[in-house]
Amino acid sequence: MLFGLECRKIFRSAAFWIYCVLSVVFFATNYIGSYGGPLYDGVEGYKMTEDHDLVMSGATNVLFGEYASNKYVCYPFGFYKAVHLKESDQKRIADYLMEITGTDEKGFEGLLGQGTECHVMAGFQEQLEYMYEDMPVAEGFSYDRFTEIMTDVDNLLGGGSEYDPEKLLYYYGQVPMTEEECQAEHEAFIKDDRITGGFARLFSDYAGIDLAILPVFPAAFLTAADRKRRMHELVYTRNVSSCKLVFTRYAALVFTMFIPVFFEMIAALIQAMIQYKGQDLDMGIMFTLPTFWLLPILMCTTAAGVLITEIFSAVTAIFAQVVIWFLTVMMSSNMLVGQIGKFTLVCRHNSAGERAAFLAAQDNFIFSRFFWAAVSLVIIAAAAAVYEAKREGRFNGFKLFGEGGLLRRQA
Amino acid sequence: MDSSCLVRVVSSDVRHNFLLYDLAAAAVLLLTPVLFGLAELNSRMAALPLELMPPLMGMILMTPLFSPEQNEGILETVRAKKMSRHIVTLLRLICALVLLAGFIGILGSYMRLNDCEVTVKMCAGAFAGAAALGALGFFAAGVSDNIVIGYMVSVTYYITSLFLKKELGKFCLLSMSCGIKGSKPLLAVTAAVLIAAAMIFRRICKNER
Repeated sequence: MLFGLECRKIFRSAAFWIYCVLSVVFFATNYIGSYGGPLYDGVEGYKMTEDHDLVMSGATNVLFGEYASNKYVCYPFGFYKAVHLKESDQKRIADYLMEITGTDEKGFEGLLGQGTECHVMAGFQEQLEYMYEDMPVAEGFSYDRFTEIMTDVDNLLGGGSEYDPEKLLYYYGQVPMTEEECQAEHEAFIKDDRITGGFARLFSDYAGIDLAILPVFPAAFLTAADRKRRMHELVYTRNVSSCKLVFTRYAALVFTMFIPVFFEMIAALIQAMIQYKGQDLDMGIMFTLPTFWLLPILMCTTAAGVLITEIFSAVTAIFAQVVIWFLTVMMSSNMLVGQIGKFTLVCRHNSAGERAAFLAAQDNFIFSRFFWAAVSLVIIAAAAAVYEAKREGRFNGFKLFGEGGLLRRQA
Repeated sequence: MDSSCLVRVVSSDVRHNFLLYDLAAAAVLLLTPVLFGLAELNSRMAALPLELMPPLMGMILMTPLFSPEQNEGILETVRAKKMSRHIVTLLRLICALVLLAGFIGILGSYMRLNDCEVTVKMCAGAFAGAAALGALGFFAAGVSDNIVIGYMVSVTYYITSLFLKKELGKFCLLSMSCGIKGSKPLLAVTAAVLIAAAMIFRRICKNER
C-alpha cells in the first residue's frame, strides 16, 4: 500500500522522468551506438601473463628512463601528473636500480649512459628525456623483493604511478596473443559466454557509469520534497514508523529507478539476437549478471543521496555524489578490463571478450557486490535513525543559511 | 536607482544566499593542482585541466541563482519589493560570471607561472565552456523552478562531454583538448541564448516583473 503510494509519487516527479530520459540516452549513445556496427570478432590483440621476468624487465626499463629525466609520470586521480623528485629521493631510486641490476656505482653509470635521447616539448620549453631498452635484471633477483622496491617507489611518487605492485602485471605483463589464442578467445565468447554473457558484461560496464551518479538526483529530489512542500510536519504525525517509511521510500526509489535499466537489458538482448541470429544465445544471463552487477551501485548511490539529504540538503548530496563519482570513475579510467578490487563500487570490464581476465577477478567481483549491498542497507538504516531524530525534534539537520543556520548572522 | 543600493543587494545576497556556493567553487579551484599536474604542460595537455575544472565552477556558481526565491514565503516578500526581480537576478549573474572569470584567471596564471603553454585565448575558451555549462544549469533550474533539476541537467551534460566527445561535436566542453575547432564561440553564444531564454521564460510563463 505505502510502497504503491511512494511509487506513484515517484512516477509523478519530473526528476524521475529526466532520470529515465538521461539513462536511455546514455545507453543508446554509449552501448548501442558503439556496438551496433560490426560484430565482435574476438581479436583483442594482447593478453596479460604472469611472466615475472617480463614484468621486471619492462618496469626497470621505464624506471631507468624516468630516473634519467627526473620526470615520473603518474595518474593519481586518473589524470596526468609529472612528478620531479628531490636529490635524496633520486638517490634512493638510484640505489634501487643498482640493486635490481646488480651493479655498483660505476656499472650503474655505464648503464645510464646507454639511454637514447629524445627532445620533447614540455610547455614552452624543450626537454631532454631518455628511453632505455633491455636493461639487465640481476640473475636470480626475486620477484617479491622487486615488488617491495616498486611499492616503495610508488609511495615516493605519491601513488598512481606505473610501479604500483597491483598494476605491474597490467602495465608490463601484456604480450601479443597468438593466432590460436585469438581463436580460443573467440570460441570462449561463442561457447562459454554464449555471446550474451560477453555483452552482459559490456552492458553492465557502461550502465554502471551513469548509475553511480544519476540516481542521486531523484533520491535527493524526493527526500527533500516533503520539506519543500511543507508536508514534513504532517508526515511526522502519522502512525507509520520511521524505519518502515524510510525503507519503503528507499525500496520504491530503487525499484522505480531499476525499471529503465531493465528495459535497456531487453534492448541489449534484442540487439544481440539480431546480430547473432541463429546462434546459441544465453537469454537469462542478460538479466541476471547486470542485475547482480548494477543493483548494488544503484542501491548505494540512492542510499547515500537519501542520507546526505536528510542530514544536510539535496544540493550537498549532489555535490558529495559528484565528488565520489569523479574519484571512483576517473581513477579507474586507465585500467578498464578485469581490474576489479574487493571494494570496487563501479566495476569496469570494457570488453565483450576477455572472459579469462574477468574470471580471474570473479571472487573480488562477487565479494564487492555483497559488500556494497550491505553498506547500502547500513546507510539507509542510518537515514532512518536521522529521520526518527528529526521526527522527535532532537535534530533538525545541518543548515548553513536560514533559520537556525550555522552561518546566520546574529541580530 | 542608487548604486549603493545595488551594492547592498549584492553583498547581502552573497552573504546570505551564495557564500556556500562561492566557497564550493573556490574549493574546486584549490583541488585542481591536487588532481592534475600543472607544470610544464604543452597546450593540448594544459587544455585538459582548463576544460575540466572551470565548467564545474560555472555549474556550481550559476545554477542556484534562482534558488533563494524557490521558497514561497521569500517569493511573496520579494514580489512586494519595489526593485525588479530581473535586476536582482542580473546582478547575481554578473557577480557569478566575474567570480568565474577571476577563478579561471588565477588558474591560468598559476599554470603559466609553472611553464605551461597557456594563452589568454585558452583561458577565454575555458570561460566560454564554464559559462555554457553554468547557463545550462541556470536555464534548467529557472524553467523547472527546482535547483536539483538544474544540477541534474548540467552534471549530466558534463558527464556526456567526458564520454561522448565525438557525438557532441562543437558542443563538447573538452574541444581544446580534443582538437575540435570553432567550438568555444559557439559555446559562448549558447550560454548567452540560454541565459536570455531563462529570463524570458520566467517573465512570460511565471509572470515575473
